[in-house]
Amino acid sequence: MKKAGKDKDVFGAVSRRTFIKGLGATAVSTVAAQTAAVAQELERVNAEKVVGPGAVPVTLTVNGEKLQLQLEPRVTLLDALRNYSSLTGSKEGCDRAACGACTVLFDGAPIYGCQKLAIEAQGHEITTIEGLAKNGSLTKVQQAFIDKDALQCGYCTPGFVMSVTALLNKNPRPTLEEAKHACSGNLCRCGTQPHILKAVLEAAGIGMAEKTGKTEGIKHA
Amino acid sequence: MPEWPTVRKYISGDTRRVDAVPKVTGRARYSSDIQATGWLYGMILRSKWPAAKILSVNLDKALKIPGIKAAVLARDGQFTVRYYGEEIAAVAGTTKQACLDALRAIEVNAEPSPDFVVHEDDAIKDGSPQVWKGVSNASDPHVRKRGDVDSAFSECAAIIEGFYSTPVQLHNPMETHGNTVSWTDEGVTVWASTQGIGSVQDGFAGALGLDASKVRVLTDYMGGGFGSKFGAGVEGVLAARLSKQANAPVRLMLTRFDEALAVGNRPSSFQKIKMGALADGKLHAFQLENYGTPGVGAGGDSGGGGGGANIQAPYLYKVPNIHSSQRSVAVNAGSARAFRAPGNPPASYGMECAMDELAVKLGMDPLEFRLINDPVEIRRNEYNVGAAHIGWKEKYKKPGSSPGVVKTGIGCAGANWPGGRGSPDTSGEAQINPDGSIEIRIGVQDIGTGTKTVIAVVAAEMLGLRPDQITVKVGDTNFPPGTGSGGSNTCPSVAPVVYDVCSNALQQLQSKSGFADARGDNWFPACKKLGVTPLKVTGQWQQSLAGGPAYGVQFAEVEVDTETGLVTVKKIVAVHDCGLIIDHLTLESQINGGCIIGMGYALYEERVMDRVSGVVLNPNFETYKLSGIADVPEIEAVLINMPERGVIGIGEPSTVPTAGAIANAVANAIGVRVPHLPITPAKVLAALGKVPPPVTA
Amino acid sequence: MNPFEYTTARTPDSARQLVGDHGAYIAGGNDLLGLLKDYLATPDILVNIKSLPGLDKIQSGPDKWTLGALVKIAELEDSADIQNAFPGIHDAASEIASPQIRNVATVGGNLAQHSRCWYFRHRDTVCLKKGGDLCYARESDNRYHSLFTGNPCISPVVSSLATTFAALDASAIVLRDGKETSMCMDELYHRAWENPLAHNSLEPGDLIVRVEIPAVRTRSAYMQISDKHSFDWALVSCAAAANVVDGKLDKPRVALGSISPVPHQVEAANEFLDGKTLDDATASRAADMILADAKPLQHNAYKVPMAHALIRRTLLKLKG
Repeated sequence: MKKAGKDKDVFGAVSRRTFIKGLGATAVSTVAAQTAAVAQELERVNAEKVVGPGAVPVTLTVNGEKLQLQLEPRVTLLDALRNYSSLTGSKEGCDRAACGACTVLFDGAPIYGCQKLAIEAQGHEITTIEGLAKNGSLTKVQQAFIDKDALQCGYCTPGFVMSVTALLNKNPRPTLEEAKHACSGNLCRCGTQPHILKAVLEAAGIGMAEKTGKTEGIKHA
Repeated sequence: MPEWPTVRKYISGDTRRVDAVPKVTGRARYSSDIQATGWLYGMILRSKWPAAKILSVNLDKALKIPGIKAAVLARDGQFTVRYYGEEIAAVAGTTKQACLDALRAIEVNAEPSPDFVVHEDDAIKDGSPQVWKGVSNASDPHVRKRGDVDSAFSECAAIIEGFYSTPVQLHNPMETHGNTVSWTDEGVTVWASTQGIGSVQDGFAGALGLDASKVRVLTDYMGGGFGSKFGAGVEGVLAARLSKQANAPVRLMLTRFDEALAVGNRPSSFQKIKMGALADGKLHAFQLENYGTPGVGAGGDSGGGGGGANIQAPYLYKVPNIHSSQRSVAVNAGSARAFRAPGNPPASYGMECAMDELAVKLGMDPLEFRLINDPVEIRRNEYNVGAAHIGWKEKYKKPGSSPGVVKTGIGCAGANWPGGRGSPDTSGEAQINPDGSIEIRIGVQDIGTGTKTVIAVVAAEMLGLRPDQITVKVGDTNFPPGTGSGGSNTCPSVAPVVYDVCSNALQQLQSKSGFADARGDNWFPACKKLGVTPLKVTGQWQQSLAGGPAYGVQFAEVEVDTETGLVTVKKIVAVHDCGLIIDHLTLESQINGGCIIGMGYALYEERVMDRVSGVVLNPNFETYKLSGIADVPEIEAVLINMPERGVIGIGEPSTVPTAGAIANAVANAIGVRVPHLPITPAKVLAALGKVPPPVTA
Repeated sequence: MNPFEYTTARTPDSARQLVGDHGAYIAGGNDLLGLLKDYLATPDILVNIKSLPGLDKIQSGPDKWTLGALVKIAELEDSADIQNAFPGIHDAASEIASPQIRNVATVGGNLAQHSRCWYFRHRDTVCLKKGGDLCYARESDNRYHSLFTGNPCISPVVSSLATTFAALDASAIVLRDGKETSMCMDELYHRAWENPLAHNSLEPGDLIVRVEIPAVRTRSAYMQISDKHSFDWALVSCAAAANVVDGKLDKPRVALGSISPVPHQVEAANEFLDGKTLDDATASRAADMILADAKPLQHNAYKVPMAHALIRRTLLKLKG
């Protein structure tokens, strides 16, 4: 239920929000006919257009391409990718910004897709796991994950790959501590963490002394 | 009798996971990714009361929400709910948002009951509210006796008594439970997140009154199960009914919140142990009183086993005089299900804590004490191997003698896994084409353990090809049936089957082509001789190629900050015998995974029930804490290849002894035992006597 | 989430009008979306304040530094200037949540975030803070809760920036009905100390616009202990700030977080420390004073020795 808010604007007792909603598309075309003050107000008002709660057009730039969708404002970026497009590579692990399975890059920075409204992702460059391998050739990070077996069931893998990709873009030769810090927002239940750290260092071109994984024979009586 | 080759090119080597590319590129489709034509989103309404009589459920308003295409009740008529989160109804709609709104529009007329109990030590008392009316919460004690403990104790040189406990642990796979289900007149197709496509097929057929031939289950990829994903599940059947009503496929995945409530857990344990040894260090008397909760039921939900809360005791070690008494205690909480090595981690934990305490009392090195008492030679050898890797001799000190505020300590524990021997019910087929391509099909599933890779490696070895030349298809009930992936059974089931499939393939190919040996370089020319007709062969499980059981020991090195209580695991050494190692690279991942779940059990994980409201207090990753990358120590996996023992499944042994080893390391570091898992900073400080009593008012 | 309208405000004035009586500002959105998803908040409109001009700068100055409310936590962590001038802020920022959250979360949002008490956050327990008549934590599981409180609710403030700003004697500048009002950390959270329904002293429509930090104390430090080694709420956090002149503390302040609805400071302890040479015995005595009136409950008494250790270590970190 909407109650009229405190109102000090130019248009009298009608609540600002109701007024703005009522303007619609005609506001732009009438700007030229108005006085300067009202014109300025209308310009500001258009920029503050109230949309929703029903579905509205939302344009997302994902992996360099435009996705034109009709979404309610409450739809998250993750929901938009997984359920309104075919980009199911980003996973839903918790929907509460706690596990990292939904990690995507937002203007190059890793964020949780589940805790970003799709409507707020407009005008930003979104990169998902599907957008990494160009022309079918794997990135260094992806190849390192494969080489070091940094995956098991694979559900957390897209999220980790995105976090590691972002890390190496920003810091090409991280220490082990920096790698852990960068991956601290990604959870895994299968236990890939040791191999993920190996993959990070491999992708960074820093070898790790092969201290683990010995196979030994045992003699029995 | 079939035998594994003694000279091996791929078997026991490091082969990259054959399904890695789809996983790292996001192309792998899990059941939560399926976008069947016209698919709908499904969601479940759950009980917000721990105990209530549901009088009526009205779906009318929900059905009117725009976008909603179907709504069903979980049960007909009036019914009783016995735990927070029990299913009440489900809806399907064109968007998640429509479903969310629809759930809130369902009207539930309920009589909540104040008679509920969620803590084991409340539930076990006389006069406690009964989870099942008219039935005592605590089962009759299951008693086991051998010899005469009472007189045996009087003969002991040293006796310890301890009270150790382990919490309810949640599986929390990264992909939640659920399916995409399409129920049409032709039958049911289920894209299932499951460990057992056969169990899902049976489950749906039974619940929906269909012949199994009308149910097809597909699991190309799934995001982990750890024992909790067998059968159709309540959520699966609801999805099917929604699909039928809406005449559209329904994707119904549980939320992370739901995962803590209703799809299984590892039972708790509260172990009162009294144990004594003779002067020469030989265990002489063992007494256990244990109880734990498997929730409302005895884990009957789970096709993968589970049972109640009873544990093997004494675990691993032979003791001539025993008295053990165990009870399962019902509480108003979700039912237990098999969880990676069911019963073994709590059994190992209690026993190994007691072993260390008794060793210390005897003035003996705990490793020596174990070597005296461990009846299994393989494990004794593993202790010696592990001791060298962790530096036991140099690092073991008297408990609490480490200098400084941050104290170091080491501990160890042993494992036993009787399963993992393979299943005669598994079979496979292959199609070999004239161009030399081969596709192997087995109705099993790869739950992250590398099953697809195992199949490719064995086939490559047998045929003289490379693993990337083998096409592997699993996860379809249209394929020859295979074992469910539980009990560490998959690898020892599929490896012998692939051996047999390939043997048969070679035999037929050789006979058809005239090549005496169609392997390796001869493969493609031999296949060419097939002309236009592909060769189809089948294969059966071969017992001589599988074996068991598996053992294993682990060592842990920890640092404990005695001022803040924080425990940091510095290193784990995991020594595991693995029968014939098929793929060393993916095997190491499995061992790491078991250790990390074991570490979580030791330090971070517990399902917390609220005594006052009866809800699960931590149905999320914020307060149900999984080991993070900064918590995971260096893990040195020492994998003992024992080809003469055949293929043995070892997914489970690696999670058994970790908590015991860590707990023993903590006790060694600070000189006092923290007996109740998880070992949080709060409990460490309490054990050190640093915590003031509560102030009333 | 319930459905909501959405708009982007271009001025603080219009933001206030657009949010009305039943709306919510959205900056990083991390706390807000979590509340919405569990129906703990049901605003009818979300007003995006990320486009409000001039609120996203870190500015140094001879008398004070200014952190715009829209400065992201990741920017705090990455800022070499901040690390030099206020290492305590750097250390606090780098431990907040996870990289993904730090990349969207803001200074203002971190201060304004709601209670993390698991009864408050649970959709099906109607606790005191949600208008119910029972503080579940007092009766039941209070392992994460306050050692100090002035009201029946024992949910502590968990903002690690609040702890650090308290030690630095920083103030939040809040725009209320078109006028700026300055609140030190104690004032910013005082209502939560008094009133079980409150998370802080902000009123509906209030907008934090910046934080002002006096350029008075050249040394600062922050530490926390959690169950896990990363991405885990602090069980206890501690911040300290001071100058060190001829080996002696000058204008010292020590604050504790996650143990009270307000960042916890004891004036007498600050006064005691002033002019003292920083050593273990002095730090320990200060810790005793800071914790003297702690009222540990059934499950949170461990926070007392934990806080004591943290205070000593954080103070000694000031030595550099």
